[in-house]
Amino acid sequence: MTTPDLRAETDGSGRAQRPLLEAKGLYKSYGEVDAVSGVDFALDGNSYVTLLGPSGCGKTSILRMIGGFEEITSGALTLDGARLDEIPAARRPINTVFQSYALFPHLSVLDNVAFGLSYRGIPRSRIRPTALEALKTVRMEAMADRRPRQLSGGQQQRVALARAIVNEPRLLLLDEPLSALDRRMRKDMQIELKDLQRRLGMTFLHVTHDQEEAFALSDRIIVMRNGRIEQQGRPDHIYARPNTAYVADFIGGAVCVPGEVVDRQAVDVILDTALGRFQIPGAPPLTAGMAAVLCLRPENLSLASDGLPARVTHCVYRGSDWIVECESAGQLLQATALDTPPPPGSDVKLSFDPARAWAAAAEQGVSA
Amino acid sequence: MRGLPGQIGTWLAMPVVAALVALCLAPLLILLAYSFFQVDFVAISRDPTFANYVKIAGSETYRGLIARAFGSALLVVAITAVIGYPVAWFIAKRVTGAKSTLLTLLLVPLYSGDLVRIFAWRVLLGAEGAINRTLMWLGLTTEPLAGLLFSPLATHIALTYNYLPFMVIGLWLAFESLDDAWLEAAADLGAPAADRFRRVTLPLTSPGLIAGGLMVFVMVAGDYLTPQLLGGASGITIISAVNDLFGTAFDWPLGSAIAWTMLAILMLCFGAGALAIRRTALVSEGV
Amino acid sequence: MYRRDLLRTALAGAALGALGPASRAYAATDILWMTWENLAKDDYLAPFFAANDVALTKTFIGTDDEQFAKLRAGGASSVDLITPGLDKVEFYTASDLLQPIDFDKVPNAALLYDTFKKTPLGKVDGETYGIPFYWGINPIVYRADLMDEEPDWSVFFEGDKYNGKLAMRDYALEGIMIAAMYLGIPESEMFDLDDAQLAEVKKVLMIQKSKLRTYWNSIGDLTNLFATGEVVCAFSWVPPYYDLRAKGIDMGMAKPKEGVIGWCDTIAVPKGVEGERLDATFKLVDYLLGPDYGKMLAVGGPYAQSTSAARDMLSAEEQEKIFISDLSIMDSFVWKKNPPRYNEWVALWNEVKAS
Repeated sequence: MTTPDLRAETDGSGRAQRPLLEAKGLYKSYGEVDAVSGVDFALDGNSYVTLLGPSGCGKTSILRMIGGFEEITSGALTLDGARLDEIPAARRPINTVFQSYALFPHLSVLDNVAFGLSYRGIPRSRIRPTALEALKTVRMEAMADRRPRQLSGGQQQRVALARAIVNEPRLLLLDEPLSALDRRMRKDMQIELKDLQRRLGMTFLHVTHDQEEAFALSDRIIVMRNGRIEQQGRPDHIYARPNTAYVADFIGGAVCVPGEVVDRQAVDVILDTALGRFQIPGAPPLTAGMAAVLCLRPENLSLASDGLPARVTHCVYRGSDWIVECESAGQLLQATALDTPPPPGSDVKLSFDPARAWAAAAEQGVSA
Repeated sequence: MRGLPGQIGTWLAMPVVAALVALCLAPLLILLAYSFFQVDFVAISRDPTFANYVKIAGSETYRGLIARAFGSALLVVAITAVIGYPVAWFIAKRVTGAKSTLLTLLLVPLYSGDLVRIFAWRVLLGAEGAINRTLMWLGLTTEPLAGLLFSPLATHIALTYNYLPFMVIGLWLAFESLDDAWLEAAADLGAPAADRFRRVTLPLTSPGLIAGGLMVFVMVAGDYLTPQLLGGASGITIISAVNDLFGTAFDWPLGSAIAWTMLAILMLCFGAGALAIRRTALVSEGV
Repeated sequence: MYRRDLLRTALAGAALGALGPASRAYAATDILWMTWENLAKDDYLAPFFAANDVALTKTFIGTDDEQFAKLRAGGASSVDLITPGLDKVEFYTASDLLQPIDFDKVPNAALLYDTFKKTPLGKVDGETYGIPFYWGINPIVYRADLMDEEPDWSVFFEGDKYNGKLAMRDYALEGIMIAAMYLGIPESEMFDLDDAQLAEVKKVLMIQKSKLRTYWNSIGDLTNLFATGEVVCAFSWVPPYYDLRAKGIDMGMAKPKEGVIGWCDTIAVPKGVEGERLDATFKLVDYLLGPDYGKMLAVGGPYAQSTSAARDMLSAEEQEKIFISDLSIMDSFVWKKNPPRYNEWVALWNEVKAS
């Protein structure tokens, strides 16, 4: 599972120049507990990268090691090819948007934003205009004289963002920055974040447990699990080609049917499942004899005149289409239907395009 | 609208409030009244007059003693703050399991009573005391250092020791509510350690500093035993002078006037402290 | 902390009323005596109760001033007998709190030593309000092992030899009396010092202060300071002399020729005590001046009674201990008296200490 995903590397836009930040064998332990168990990844300049995983997967520890708030137990971090470990947080050209925003409650919004400027060799007379400029970038200039307490969560978020970007860091770290916002606000902020990253041409490293957020924002997603990288690559690639049942499950949407690989043919594997034997593309590590899952997404599974026999158990109308939940050979499956589907209890046939199905490595403890 | 439970609470609180008013406020008001009287041998004349306050203002002794009381109080506040900061920080931020044990230990000296602590200092600082014996054994001095005991130095050492816990508790509470993220944010924004303390820790723990400082201030200003028993020939305090006036001199009016002068200054300090706390961000309310 | 003290004094009177009657045992007559704890030990009083059907309630005082505050604050009606200092009786009579002693009912008063008979203190218009009860002297006590010669008052004002090793009681009255004696001011003027004399006194007290290790406030504390060698010589009370000799320290006691400060406590009967209670009270007063009590006080105290009632029952050593073997010593006594300008004395004393 720690084996670097070569396909993901080549999926990138071709990394000709040196990466902005590189982690090699990054390891962090707190006494007996390993938070990060040796990870390797690289961040390009001008990109939006997400560290995605459930809480406790080590993603925040990675962020804090990059920010300089945690020591590295072993391994290396380099920024522009230079080692980062020895440099204290205060001197790293990296800024952070904290999960709680950590705005200074005793300072006005403007003073919060201006806080870091005095350490950047900016002339006194330029500090206020520069801070105001940053506030303008996040549309908060009208609130410059307020105290953080007087702002809504979304406004505080934007001030925290302004306080970080005003220092023009090489890398901006965002620690679950949207988790405290309500759903509507979160959607808006996602767009703003992405837009900001593009305008500034800065690299954003964003930690989240929300896969939707990761997809909405990222050029590249690093999926973490138990202190290791499960898979990294472009969002569409991770979505369509999850290496493991865990990734498929965590990314969501896919129904995973357990089975066993009986043969490997180039990019395809022959997979035996309760639903039958299929030849489908599969994750590279899979070889004959390995346990695997058949990942079927609703949009790839449709009601047809011929195919897998199934019985409708439940229908959900989504506006543009229906999600039809069916049971086939003891497996729950989800299909889409453009027209009103038969009522629950009806017998139907389901078909899918094997080229768009995917076999991922199965794992213990992960429900399919 | 206040519900029934609220009213019950009010009624239940009434006797306590009444008792507080009767036991705390009433004697002070009696003292205030006395401060405008005059005494002639054992007869107290009840014609109101400011003569006592004029006497205090005109007396170099009483002015000096009042100034000395508050000067000492300020000095001890400053020393306890300097010592208290790292201690409070350590307990709040670096101790996890043994926190309550440490806090209890910190308070242990307070359980032992004023006199026990004062005599313990005598044992340490005396001419035949532990420190002098050690110094002489090490050959650093040949004669015991007499100035260790019965001197302002001894007084201030003991006062600092006596009231440090109050400062530490105040600061500890402030540190408990000081989010580490603020310090990380300051470091993240490029502030070196000294600036993180000055620009973030200090302002955000100032309510604790002010609260602890006020407690120490009041208690030092009111402590007469420690200076009396450790301060030597110059161990007089304004409080022991008041004691003399109430006791041997039977000049209750002048004693009351001095007591109220002290009280008024202390109340001013409290007012200023409360105002300062309100102005800090931690307790300010949104508009 | 000071508030607590003030409150204690201010509220003492109020508390007294509640304390008194409830704790009395049943007997034909109940009387309440406000006194020092060491004067009312049960064995000292046992013969009196054996002979009289009287029950006694004792209220102990911490300071003379506290006693006065209690009486003045309205406790007089419930107290039958008090124990003010001879120099303090004036406060009570000026406040009209006492009734004269009926000497017909106190036959033992005839045995008072002359000095107590003659003293004008405790008297108003020929009537005695506070009858001298027991007395002693406040001498200089010193570490004989650490001092070459017996000191007199000048040790507190002259020479550098004992700088930083002296202690003085923190008490304006005695402090200024000692300065006056050192300056040679006669007893007749001592309590009526004029401005020039007060200025002179202040000057020498400033010198004294520079020589002191500390002012002492409790005799236990002073005993401690002697024992640890912090102080080698002090204007003191008698007890440290005996206490530390008993512990093997070579202590000395000096009674300076310029004058020895004598102290004397009286017993006085508050106004309003009458009838059977008054009779029982005078019976107790007579007992307190009599031989049984006098002997026990001399042996147990050791303190001297104001009468000669028990003198012949004591051994020479016991007499010596309480300064009655040679009665001429009483001639050099300077009895404490309340100066009319005492407020100014206290102010002066504080000025010196605050300088």
